[in-house]
Amino acid sequence: SEKIDLDAWKKVMKSGLQEEVSETVSEPKELSALAAAREIVEMWRLAGRSVPENMSDEQLKTFIECPSKSAKKKYLKYLHLKELYKKNDKRKMEEKRERKLVAQEQASETSKTKNTSFVCLWASSMDRAYNWRAAQSMVFGQPLVFDMSYENDMSVREVANTVRQLVLSESSNRRSVDPFHIHFCNLKDDSLYHKEFVKHYREAWDKLLVTVTDQCYTQIFPKDKLIYLTADSPKVMKTFDHDKVYIIGSMVDKSIKTGVSLARAKRLGLETAALPLEKYLLWNSGAKNLTLDQMMHILLTLKDTGDWKKALEFVPKRKYCGFVSRP
Amino acid sequence: SRIQPPEKPLKSEEWNRLRENFQSPEVFEEVMLNSMIKSNSPIDVAKSLLTQVAQSNGDIAYNLLVKYLALCVQQGQTAEIQEMYDIMKIRFKTLESGAYSLLIKGLSNSDQWKMALSLLEEVKKIMIPSRTNYESCIKAAGRHQEMSLAFELYHDMLSKDLMPTLDILKALFDFSRGMKDAELQKELFGILLHLRENQIYPHKTFMRSIKLWFESIPGGNWRGHLTNIKDSGQCPVCSHQLEDSDLTEEEYNNLRERIIKDVIHGTDTFRKTSPQEFEAFQTFVENRLPFDIVIDGLNVSHIKLKKMQCENLFDAVNYLAKGKTRVLVLGRKHMLSNSSNWRREIMKEMQSKADFFFAENISEDDAFLLYATLQSGKHCKFVTRDFLRDHKACLTDSLTRHLFRKWQRGHQIVFSPSEGGKPIKFLPAFRYDCVVQTTGDTWHIPYKDIFEEKYSYQVPRKWLCIQRK
Repeated sequence: SEKIDLDAWKKVMKSGLQEEVSETVSEPKELSALAAAREIVEMWRLAGRSVPENMSDEQLKTFIECPSKSAKKKYLKYLHLKELYKKNDKRKMEEKRERKLVAQEQASETSKTKNTSFVCLWASSMDRAYNWRAAQSMVFGQPLVFDMSYENDMSVREVANTVRQLVLSESSNRRSVDPFHIHFCNLKDDSLYHKEFVKHYREAWDKLLVTVTDQCYTQIFPKDKLIYLTADSPKVMKTFDHDKVYIIGSMVDKSIKTGVSLARAKRLGLETAALPLEKYLLWNSGAKNLTLDQMMHILLTLKDTGDWKKALEFVPKRKYCGFVSRP
Repeated sequence: SRIQPPEKPLKSEEWNRLRENFQSPEVFEEVMLNSMIKSNSPIDVAKSLLTQVAQSNGDIAYNLLVKYLALCVQQGQTAEIQEMYDIMKIRFKTLESGAYSLLIKGLSNSDQWKMALSLLEEVKKIMIPSRTNYESCIKAAGRHQEMSLAFELYHDMLSKDLMPTLDILKALFDFSRGMKDAELQKELFGILLHLRENQIYPHKTFMRSIKLWFESIPGGNWRGHLTNIKDSGQCPVCSHQLEDSDLTEEEYNNLRERIIKDVIHGTDTFRKTSPQEFEAFQTFVENRLPFDIVIDGLNVSHIKLKKMQCENLFDAVNYLAKGKTRVLVLGRKHMLSNSSNWRREIMKEMQSKADFFFAENISEDDAFLLYATLQSGKHCKFVTRDFLRDHKACLTDSLTRHLFRKWQRGHQIVFSPSEGGKPIKFLPAFRYDCVVQTTGDTWHIPYKDIFEEKYSYQVPRKWLCIQRK
């Protein structure tokens, strides 16, 4: 049989380069820091690491400023995943659009008018109904306070996550049968929280049916009505009290900072409480602190039903392995 | 289902057939090369695969080249490694850290080791090289008896805040064996002082390298012995008295201030206690100073699980509060509630033998423990099984953390493990400081039996004594 030329690939690799080399000659010798970083990231991508395909100059700057190698790696991975999710979403959107077009074509073929007594205005009429309820809650609803004084305890990304959770909380509150009157207390106008809120809500931020104030809750409500909810509290909540004002700390702590919100309540001399997680759930793993939207779901359910079991269904399933049979 | 690489080079058609039968053809080459690395296939097989790729695509992806390079490095194919470098350099303006590390590792083990050094310089232009990059180069320089070059690289990595691995340090001792060079000796003493400053303990094989180096210095007349230091701090071999673990006045005051500032107050006094409570505790301590021993009551009450908590504490207080020893026990308010674990009459009796301070149930008594001990003065010891690691972590700078560890070694009384019904016993705090030390004519070096250091609080009991005859 014929002999295999084992070094044939080297010839191929070396042959295509002449043009490339001549191309690089015209480039300036000193690469700017940004260009150099871009090149490194590109090489990592070629090496098969989790690295985004496209990066803005701003992202590259953040990348360069990462204090350590592992921080750099983490940041790139984060951007990579973000890019993946975005691409997936886009793909799904396009598929949906195509399906819709096909469906429309089919519908026009069989064109048939439906008989119904309602005009189809679902989204906007629902919005109006929700807003009506939220407006009522502004007058008659039980207050629920989000304490917005944790900006200095968080990184920029943690603040962004916090606001995302708050947006989710506000929307599930608006959609509930009997919404809370939400108070964002200690919220300063020039704060990062505020900027993130505006990013999410845009013009709707000023029309939101919630109370936003830079005052502390202790200035708005009598102290003996306030209960600060914190996982570090030594006191366990037994029942939901409709006459109290519950406070939730608007904080996401990725590196668990124990006792920060408990310290805040202690300083102001407020009563504290933790959810009775261990009384009702066979805890599996994970921290006892829950996300803000989970807290909102739990409190809404408690307010409506007073049923702990139903309320604690909103604790993520991975964190517990079942309910205690007889609490 | 891993794919088995072929034993002999294949022709393009044969590779194509394999590829078609593979479940995900788009990663076929990657998976195949990975499995070649794993089973250490002959490089000719890999070459035939690359040839197939080049012929069908007109190009070979970077990640495949790196995998092939890894295979060459694994087999020490120096010529091939060099050629790969040439190919990659023409193809790409810059390489990434993975390829550089492979090239440096591969070339440093060959007679082309000087090329590894220039590659290290190239890496420096785009990023900080890794510790293993330096390790390869330092070892290569050492192997070729270029010790000043090896030390230049060593200092270079220190200047970049890279902590050299114990392997690098050991290699520097190994390669310097038998050399008579005053400058070199100074460098190696410098490494020993580096161990001292960073409270690093060499492991057994590293210790042996140190011993052999000392004994090999021509005309040095150094002799090394392995030994255990007595509780008194005297070396049984040379009768030298080891340094004590006391801090200087300045260090002590510095540590005390940092503990109050970083550990007790931290970012927020309310996190561990409250200002009122801390003030009350301060007044309490000032009025009764100085104590000789401060006990973490709650911690001690858990020594023996079968016994009632207050009985454990009672035993400890009885053991420690003898004669004129002034003992302070820190507890929490719930201990006073007369429960099944905390019997009122026993608590009453204890309170006649020692001072007690009861903190709020949600406060952290460890912070109080540190404060009371440091406030009582240098002689005062404390008792807890806790390793105080999270408190050490609160200290903001590394210098204070080292002071804290030194102070902890000399002042923490721990339980000696005792079985069954035997009464509890305590190990006295170390009177001497367990750290590399020298007088010029002697060196005393504590070492660990095993390589893995599991707990930073565990202090070795074995020593290497080196003296000049």
